[in-house]
Amino acid sequence: MTVFNPNDLYGILPALLLAVGALLVLTSEVFLKPASGLRPQLSGVEASSDLKPISVAADPEAAPDRRYQAWVAAAFAAAGLWAALSQLADPTLSLFSGAAVSDGFARLVAAVVCAALLLSCAVSYSYLESLRATRGEFYALALFSAAGMCLLAQATDLIVIFVSLEVMSLAIYALCAYLRRGKRPAEAAFKYFILGSFASAIFLYGAALAFGATGSTRIADIAAALRSSPAPGVSGLLSAAVALLASGFCFKVAAVPFHMWVPDVYDGAPAPVTGFMAAGVKAAAFAVLVRILVLGFGDANAALGPHGWGELIAWLAMLTMLVGNLLAIPQRSVKRMLAYSSIAHAGYLLVAVASMASSGSRADATEGLLFYLAAYGATVVGAFGVVAVIERKLALSGLGDDLSSWSGLAERHPGLAAAMSLFMISLAGVPPTAGFMAKLTVFRAAIEAGLTPLAIFGVLTSVAGLYYYLRVVVYVYMVPEAKPDAIQGGRLLSAGLAIAGCVLIVLWMGVQPGSFAALTQSAAAAFSR
Amino acid sequence: MNWIEAHLLTVAIFLPMAGAVLIALLPRGEGGQHKGVAFIVSLLTFAASLPLWAGFHPSSKFAFEQRSEWAPSLGFSYHVGLDGVALLLFMLTTFLGPIVVLSSWKLIQDRVKIYCIALLVLETAMMGTLAALDLVLFYTFWEAMLIPMYLLIGMWGSERRIYAAVKFFLFTFIGSVLMLLAIFWLWSNSGAAGHRTFDYVELLAQGTLNPQTQKWLFAAFALAFAIKVPIWPLHTWLPDAHTEAPAAGSIILAGVMLKMGTFGFIRYAMPLFPQAALAHAPYLALFGVIGIVYGSLMCMAQTDMKRLVAYSSVAHLGFVMLGLSALTAEAVSGAVLQMVNHGISTGALFLLIGYLYERTHTRELSAYGGVARVAPAIAATFLVVTLSSIGLPGTNGFVGEFLILIGTFTSKELNGAVPLAVVGATGVILGAVYMLWMYQRVFLGKDGKTVAHGIADLSVREWFTVAPLLVAIVWIGFFPQPLLTAIKEPVDAFVQRVAHPQRQRADAIAPPSLQPAPSPAQDAPAPRLFMPQRAPLVRPSGEPR
Repeated sequence: MTVFNPNDLYGILPALLLAVGALLVLTSEVFLKPASGLRPQLSGVEASSDLKPISVAADPEAAPDRRYQAWVAAAFAAAGLWAALSQLADPTLSLFSGAAVSDGFARLVAAVVCAALLLSCAVSYSYLESLRATRGEFYALALFSAAGMCLLAQATDLIVIFVSLEVMSLAIYALCAYLRRGKRPAEAAFKYFILGSFASAIFLYGAALAFGATGSTRIADIAAALRSSPAPGVSGLLSAAVALLASGFCFKVAAVPFHMWVPDVYDGAPAPVTGFMAAGVKAAAFAVLVRILVLGFGDANAALGPHGWGELIAWLAMLTMLVGNLLAIPQRSVKRMLAYSSIAHAGYLLVAVASMASSGSRADATEGLLFYLAAYGATVVGAFGVVAVIERKLALSGLGDDLSSWSGLAERHPGLAAAMSLFMISLAGVPPTAGFMAKLTVFRAAIEAGLTPLAIFGVLTSVAGLYYYLRVVVYVYMVPEAKPDAIQGGRLLSAGLAIAGCVLIVLWMGVQPGSFAALTQSAAAAFSR
Repeated sequence: MNWIEAHLLTVAIFLPMAGAVLIALLPRGEGGQHKGVAFIVSLLTFAASLPLWAGFHPSSKFAFEQRSEWAPSLGFSYHVGLDGVALLLFMLTTFLGPIVVLSSWKLIQDRVKIYCIALLVLETAMMGTLAALDLVLFYTFWEAMLIPMYLLIGMWGSERRIYAAVKFFLFTFIGSVLMLLAIFWLWSNSGAAGHRTFDYVELLAQGTLNPQTQKWLFAAFALAFAIKVPIWPLHTWLPDAHTEAPAAGSIILAGVMLKMGTFGFIRYAMPLFPQAALAHAPYLALFGVIGIVYGSLMCMAQTDMKRLVAYSSVAHLGFVMLGLSALTAEAVSGAVLQMVNHGISTGALFLLIGYLYERTHTRELSAYGGVARVAPAIAATFLVVTLSSIGLPGTNGFVGEFLILIGTFTSKELNGAVPLAVVGATGVILGAVYMLWMYQRVFLGKDGKTVAHGIADLSVREWFTVAPLLVAIVWIGFFPQPLLTAIKEPVDAFVQRVAHPQRQRADAIAPPSLQPAPSPAQDAPAPRLFMPQRAPLVRPSGEPR
């Protein structure tokens, strides 16, 4: 075996920076001293059971001031973003003797992850401050999970994929349970952990079968083994391996029928974490899913029956779009609605994956996938940012997370109302927003790949989607305020900046999609051999 | 100045948008300021569009064309331009803009800021839809129209406004998404990878697809436009949206937005898929005629003024569809003229009904009576508009309907043209019945109920909104020729392409490579109504078929 090559570290620079940041945040805890009366006492209107301040109210001096950690985390996320973007045009590097790779695709995914983390840090800052729940592990865990996501996008060996997957997942499980009080965070984390471990085991089983069928865990070696006519009798083993590997990641991307955990987890986790999770985990999991399927099993379609894995994914996509959109319609809680919408969007992304099965449309579909991941990430981080602000305000006023408590938002906070409406319209895929351009790139690739029925089905389900997204706009703008002055109070600045950033990205990608599409074009070269 | 001249169309399109941004930056709660800025900006937009009308020379090419890069990596460009048909509707849009703002000066008192922004953004979106020559650009503007209109209906409408707003959005959206897929299909088959295009002019020049494919793509486009028109039986969103919308929303909806559907047919659905359009023209005509009769009958049963006018829109746009599917130069010219006329007449009707509603807060016919005694100016202007809506000679409505019916009677392309025209013509009579009936119930008779409301006559501000519309009604009624001249080229090209594909014109929008032989129809003058000795109303006879 080759020895460790320090130059390889340059290839995983974004992940490395994030991990260093996480360690820095953790070690800095050692040197913390109790703060001396920096925090103002909160004014006592605490009605909600779930969102009470967590720090010890009796003795505020005991809790040290940890606000610097948000700055550290944001700085390292920004550094990771910069690293990913500055490497974007570099030639592809094979790292650690083939266990990982640094190509345009992985770098762009890493950039999406780092940007999502950066924006989520800003949202978390004011969210945690207003809950007085800034504890040491939050930003460290977020940085660790982001590092796992970046590695996941780069990994080209099933073992490395598994390790990165666990780095990402364990940190996310813990973040889901971060608000310890109340039943819902615990339930969310527990459900996510149990089902997530199950999914990891399924993935591992699939990896073992793939090893059995081809004799390697390297994606490139698997592909090579498949090209040199696999032994007879292997095709059953191979089908099982593909199905199990895909299932493992379909769980992570929240595809039907592996979606059961999504509403509870999205609902129970702190809103900024949910936004980060929806953007980051989806991006990383889709990146590794297409890497395994396209680069590993791209040539194995013949061995996998007449239509190969493309058809399997197409059916999953259809089911996911249908179930996600239909189940979102009756939701009254915005967070749960966004959870089901996230399932539906996994379906649209799976359309892009299915379009990657045929080599003619592969480049277009890869661009579509990347564009969609970035557009969805910006939109969903922004939407959960608004939810985070509103949720806190509602809790202060003793109101629940029902849609009806969003009424009159346009009167109180016109900026938040406009931003939320923009995000909803982007999620629905109406121009001139990022969501529309994302749908354009994906469905165009689907038509290109000859998946017209799937595309027709997809756009029709997006009409159902429009209905529940519009309902938020209805409550925000059209339904008169149920309780005057219901939504009020709270710290806004950093979350507001993050939301404004998301608004700008969503509009920019919607009005000037060309510049980002050019990035995806060069990134998609990784898959067009 | 040169830059502005070269980009005049773009400047006009985005001027309202700039105004909206300006209003967004003004402080909240300064309603008067917001309305003032909105009015001035819409007036400026109208002023900016006047040079477009003045500088327009009828030709087979698009005027004021501008093409620049938008997103080359995604394959679409910013490509705008106007032909005669689009220009007329474009002028109609900018013409109605200031009227709409002025008309809602008193009615809208809360959340003025969002209201003004929505109106201006809507104007930009409508103008963009008309001027776009790239399919993605067109679709972007087309969908962008929905959002401000949705807000207008949902935020300032009457009781069932939310239901109406959501219904409006969903109906339109469901048609549009299928059209979007059809657009992608066109793109995907427009050349080898790397050379594909969303450009309308280039797609048109590529010749026609095979008929089987055309059928499906035409269906997708036609569905989107048919919902917007709306063609019976897809019209059910319209009465709700019209009735619940505030007056300004109804004016824009009736005045311009419905025309986007018929405009879509004449610009996109039919020329892009001519064989499918020719094959399905009888169905379009049939649905148009059903719309005429059904809409007229529904009008008679209404007790709500706005709902009545909404159903009359279904009938009037049925005429437009009949004219478009008759595929003769006269009928298509009439249909285009009818689009403009309907915009002016129905816009004026909604405007005046809005003023009545502002005074009485009811739209029920039974709550009125004898308004003419109390408010003679409203009654007089309403009468002119009513007559124009009926199609009395000397008003604009006459010219359009007359040309449509004449053109349909003489159509040889449309199977069963004569019976369809006969049944359609009953719509003229029915139209007179329901409109005059409404006029009688509201304005004539005893004034007992009306006096109870205390109706004031038109104020100066209101006169300023009504007068331009009255002038337009009479002006087009007597001098339709400039309009007919402006639309002659695109209408001829349309008829050529759809009805006589074997005789493509060399200079038409269609490519020279397809069929260079010029046809006799090329030299035929536009139909002239009042100079019959120079050009007969019927198409030049003796053309080989």
